[in-house]
Amino acid sequence: MTSAWLAWRTMRRYRARTALATIGVAIIGALLFDMLLLSRGLVTSFADLLNHSGYDVRVLNSQGFSLARATIPRASEVDAAIARLPEVASVARIRLEPATAMHHGADINVALISSTHSGTQVAWTLISGADLPADGASADRCPVLVASNLAARLELQPGAPLSLRAGVSGERSVLPAVACRVVGIGASPFSAGDEYQVLTTLSGMRAVRGGADDDTADVVLVASRPESGPAAAVHAIAARHPDLHVYSNEDVVEQFNQNGFAYFRQISVVLSSITIVFTVLLVATILTVSTNQRLGEIAALRALGIGRRRIATMLLWESVLIVGVGGLLALPLGGLVAVGLDGILKQMPGIPEALHFFVFEGRAVALHALLLSTTALVAALYPMWLTARLPIASTLRREVVG
Amino acid sequence: MLLSRQLAARAHINVGDEVRLATDSAGTTGRLFRVVGIYEPTPDPMRFTALRLETRLHLADLANLAETPGDVAGADTADAINVRLVTPADARPFADDVRARMPGLDVRPTSRPPEGDPFVVLDRFHLAISLVTVAGSTAFLLALMIIRAEERRETVGAMRLLGISRRSLLVEVAIEGLLIAAAGALFGALLAFAAESLVNRIFQSRYDTTLVFLRVTRSIALRSFALAVPLGVAAGIAASWTLLRRDILSLVGR
Repeated sequence: MTSAWLAWRTMRRYRARTALATIGVAIIGALLFDMLLLSRGLVTSFADLLNHSGYDVRVLNSQGFSLARATIPRASEVDAAIARLPEVASVARIRLEPATAMHHGADINVALISSTHSGTQVAWTLISGADLPADGASADRCPVLVASNLAARLELQPGAPLSLRAGVSGERSVLPAVACRVVGIGASPFSAGDEYQVLTTLSGMRAVRGGADDDTADVVLVASRPESGPAAAVHAIAARHPDLHVYSNEDVVEQFNQNGFAYFRQISVVLSSITIVFTVLLVATILTVSTNQRLGEIAALRALGIGRRRIATMLLWESVLIVGVGGLLALPLGGLVAVGLDGILKQMPGIPEALHFFVFEGRAVALHALLLSTTALVAALYPMWLTARLPIASTLRREVVG
Repeated sequence: MLLSRQLAARAHINVGDEVRLATDSAGTTGRLFRVVGIYEPTPDPMRFTALRLETRLHLADLANLAETPGDVAGADTADAINVRLVTPADARPFADDVRARMPGLDVRPTSRPPEGDPFVVLDRFHLAISLVTVAGSTAFLLALMIIRAEERRETVGAMRLLGISRRSLLVEVAIEGLLIAAAGALFGALLAFAAESLVNRIFQSRYDTTLVFLRVTRSIALRSFALAVPLGVAAGIAASWTLLRRDILSLVGR
């Protein structure tokens, strides 16, 4: 009879405690798995989101992504100069303004975004209607692509009129509402659940702002040529515009990793560590108490000629079976818990719908398996040591005869 | 001007030193200021990862420094105006009133509504993690209690033979569970209390801030007790009931 078979027989004999210990490992293991998913989830998801936009370089007029708004002056000149660089494939200018959408008596605050490019070229997904025309390619004074949540709230269809009034921060005057036309309904990956976005052309933005055009942009998006790569494009743009701040997607993700994501990375490290220590302690306690209860039985097996090593291996197998089965159950359970926790964290204001805190990665599964394997081994060490030094005769006398 | 502690340390500036401040990196438009004090920035949980390299000037000094020739209105601008109300509870109607009088201004109370507060969301997240941990711990606790109950099978059998009723034994188990759970919860609260200072020191040093990251309050300790004690008692009773419902002869192995 092998050690593994002995362990299996023992666990079948003590079904209730084995099942409960396995359930305990499964639940705590699910939490560990979730913390491993959280440790890189937001950064991975954020990187996916940035890469999905089709642009790999961002040009700003402020260091990092500060809360204070600093627009790029003479943006059309900057745009043209960057577009002429041999490392650059295409350039899109983006400008944002707060605005109010008015439709059938309802007033809703929206984020009005203007782009030199069509909606699909700046990562919007068209749901119905037509795409936003590129700036200057349409006779329409104010064509707009509205986000699906706004379209649902105002019951907008492609072709419907939509009045927009700019809410220019810091100015007391109220600009008149401008009649725009909904050309299509779409979805932006950068849109937060609690935010209504409207995409228009630069001409549309100018119209909404009462004809004012200060030729500024909040960000200039740049797609590098594949043969050059983003690093070369960043270098070339920074050399051409030393007064601006140029970041590749990798730089943005790294900055996000260092600042915005630090809290979740650390809570993930802290909770993973606590979870592992907790699991080791509990599995070790259960195995030790269980071994103490079976000392007479183990001494009898030793007296029958079963060696120390085989008994110790049996205890290791018990630990492996409890932690292994619990660890396997932890994966689907962790997936379910991650969906719930992700839903809670996404209630934070300003989090884009497409951003996730928990992202499944093969690396997390491998790390989860490694950590739990170590847990099984460490948890079995003390009971293995207990049985290895067990005196057969005195134990039998005490446990069986006594 | 005043300098934040972090900026003073990084730039090796002391009180009484003169510093040139400019709005351009070349420093051509700069003016000399004398450092009259060094301050600790108010901890801000929304910006705890940011390096607080800050200065404080009188508004008029900053306006003069940032003034653009020919921009008369620019000198009389402000990014924000903070208002302290006589009656703080009137913040929301006051904000509505100012917004109605000056359309275009963004006026809001400093207290966040729960639906827009990221810390309320974090609180929910931590609560959810706690519930998962409690569920896992309960399973482990139940497994341990079952092992303990099995250990005492013969003792329980002997006590039943002596005439002690199931009810008395259950009460004994419940009291024992209560004492163990209370001791465990107390130990947990003391451990958390001891870890509080260590955790805060590590994070405060990591982010160079005075922000308090972890605080074991009385309400948190009481909540832990309120959860741990009934669970401990219930686990003890549930584990013992599997033993007590058996007949006496099977308990003593006959």
